[in-house]
Amino acid sequence: MKFNVKTVLQRSPRLGELSQIAGKLDVCLETPLALLHTQAGHIPHITHEVLKLVTQEPHFLQIPVVSMHNYLEAIHLYDGRVADFVGSKDSLTCVTLNDPSNLMKQGHHNKDKVPIFTKRGKVLYDSENYMDMVEKLRPDMYIILSDGDTNMTSSNKRVSKAVENTVSFNQRCIERHKKSEKLKDAFVIAPIAGGYCVKSRKQCLELLSPNEPDVQGYLIDGLHNNGPEVELISFSEVKPIVDYVISKLPPGKLRAIQGCWSPLNIIKLVNSGIDIFDTSYCRILTERSAALTFAIDAGEASESYEINLRHGKFSEDFQPVLKECKCVACQGYSRAYIHHLLTVQELLGSVLIMVHNIHHMLRFFQKIRDSVREDKLNELEDRVAAQIKLLHCHKEQLASSELSRNSTE
Amino acid sequence: MTTIKSPLSFAILGKCGSSKARVGKITLPHGPVDTPVFMPVGTQGTLKGMLPEQLKAMGVQILLANTYHLGTRPGVDILLKAGGLHKFMNWDGNLLTDSGGFQMVSLLKLAEITEQGVKFESLNEQKDQVMLSPEHSIEIQNAIGADIIMQLDDVVKTTVPDKERIEESVHRTTRWLDRCIKVHQNPSTQNIFPIVQGTLYQDLRKISIADHIKRDVNGFAIGGLSGGESKDDFWKIVHLCTDLLPKNKPIYLMGVGFATDLVVCSALGVDMFDCVFPTRTARFGCALTMVGQINLKKKQYATDLQPIDKDCDCSTCKNYTRAYLHGIVTDLPVACHLITVHNVVFQLRLMKTIRDSILNGTFVEFVQQFMLAIHPDRDYPTWIKDSLTAVNIPLL
Ligand SMILES: [Zn+2]
Ligand SMILES: [Zn+2]
Repeated sequence: MKFNVKTVLQRSPRLGELSQIAGKLDVCLETPLALLHTQAGHIPHITHEVLKLVTQEPHFLQIPVVSMHNYLEAIHLYDGRVADFVGSKDSLTCVTLNDPSNLMKQGHHNKDKVPIFTKRGKVLYDSENYMDMVEKLRPDMYIILSDGDTNMTSSNKRVSKAVENTVSFNQRCIERHKKSEKLKDAFVIAPIAGGYCVKSRKQCLELLSPNEPDVQGYLIDGLHNNGPEVELISFSEVKPIVDYVISKLPPGKLRAIQGCWSPLNIIKLVNSGIDIFDTSYCRILTERSAALTFAIDAGEASESYEINLRHGKFSEDFQPVLKECKCVACQGYSRAYIHHLLTVQELLGSVLIMVHNIHHMLRFFQKIRDSVREDKLNELEDRVAAQIKLLHCHKEQLASSELSRNSTE
Repeated sequence: MTTIKSPLSFAILGKCGSSKARVGKITLPHGPVDTPVFMPVGTQGTLKGMLPEQLKAMGVQILLANTYHLGTRPGVDILLKAGGLHKFMNWDGNLLTDSGGFQMVSLLKLAEITEQGVKFESLNEQKDQVMLSPEHSIEIQNAIGADIIMQLDDVVKTTVPDKERIEESVHRTTRWLDRCIKVHQNPSTQNIFPIVQGTLYQDLRKISIADHIKRDVNGFAIGGLSGGESKDDFWKIVHLCTDLLPKNKPIYLMGVGFATDLVVCSALGVDMFDCVFPTRTARFGCALTMVGQINLKKKQYATDLQPIDKDCDCSTCKNYTRAYLHGIVTDLPVACHLITVHNVVFQLRLMKTIRDSILNGTFVEFVQQFMLAIHPDRDYPTWIKDSLTAVNIPLL
């Protein structure tokens, strides 16, 4: 797999493409791109058969090792790639350590090892068993093992430890990669650690630079501990780090970020020059019964940023989730029906919400690419920002009316 | 003279030369149904995470939904506003609804049956006393709008020995049938089926049938079975009912859907079946095969790289191994979806095999081989031997 930047290198919101993919030479994917966040290879609630009804575009699955660890024995015996094993042989795959939709447990560090928490408990990964796993999975792309356990509040000691571990993992994983026949076509992404400390980021970048020829992309890691909280991170907090790291990265390499970033922050990150994201945000929305309804195109009708279909006001609302949406859910099912399914705890409720959310997110990314191409990303940002502002106003109004109601009681 | 166009026509396309098995085509307002048919159960207006688009692609022609559940949530009001359940759930195939009576008697301990109807304590917070009368059941079923609807019947457990009570239920069921027919609002689009009662008493079953066949209806259901009675009692009642019911109308055996039962009861002449088991069991990791069930949760499947069933052409068997399913079963909802796909396709395939073998004259051989595969030591249960012998199918 090769990455090429299509716009002028120095410009920060940029277009690129992933092509020359081994075994899939006809596939060409344009960036900025959202990998499809999965657990054990499935977008939560959506089987691959249903996914084909949602999008005919090539699927690029993000596969967390934490969700595959229990398959260790089976994968050992299995003679095929992870895409086949998870039942989606035509998909592209990107292997990463943790599940961005789940909050990581902090701490539990061992020297030269990273803990992950599978459904059967804590497991330690080091460069060797991580690369064993990657070799067995044979993904099209993977992220090198890293120590990403830092966030805004991490101590200096934790940050420098994370850098030290990440550099050491990088060294060993790349040595393994160079010797691996099975991974010779795999696209390698190197995480950069260093939390919110510019000095540590600088140090990490410098220590990783000798391996640059063996790396096709970089991940800005260590900004958060995954999970729903990422949605609430204010962009001004991450901007200095993101901008600094990007300014130091070789411009021809892919730049990735992971986590449940809000759509507005995704636009801002694209503006800073990020190329690859994931759809884990759709999972946290779906788990709270929320469907994305913000307007993507100019002139598109939208009454709100997102709607919570559990709310009683939808019990007799026979409109689709979003009037002009072309997804399978909006084409055949009403808000009232989804509300009914949620009330009686039927599985199809989450399926329909997820179908819509994924469709909306993919359409959003298409709009981002078109906007970058037409140099109109600011317009999109203003449109989304205005809708979020409305959402916040609405929430405040609700809160204050709640307050006044309580005070009169 | 104006005649209402019948919402059901039934054509018999072929019969087994030995047994009472037959192949038919029921034509309903939402398309044809090939019989013998298994109807998957979508209790609350949905089937275990399946999109109706998927069910259609699998070849499902009719789904069952439960009146008691739908009458509670979303309720008649919303169903009417939605334009009926077909529209509400985006299913343009056929639907069948039960009357709600069975659900109530089996789910609610405090149900009390009087001539008026089934009285029970509502599940709502006020714990109101609610009455499900024949009229109310039909009102809900009219709002749901299923192609086939059931009369409210007086359900007595098959294990109740009180013959007097059972005799009362037989007569009351017929009285309730007349009340149901009287208030039924949509006779041109919805078919009402009577339910034959009488538990295990042959004389009472005969009375029930004699009364029901005098009514102007398009099909019949056999109720009051599949409730814990012995299989030796069970098959004899089915055999009696299919002998006595008119041959030109479909016969529906309620609550029966295990593979062996489907094969035997098809041989006895039943046309329609339903059962929650194949879809309910998927959630617990249980997948159906021609020689029984496998529980994918079991450790032995952790490294089993075969599909659930190599002869199955469902999307789950084509794309996933047992090992993969083992790793996500009871953990991720998609595992339930994937196993449900297989289990529904399994039931459909079994019914198609039954129909095809009846049509091409190999039904007897099919039944023999099917039973032999499950009982390779030929230790057939008595009821299977007896029931099949009664319809001229000797086991190998
Ligand atoms: Zn939609
Ligand atoms: Zn199958």
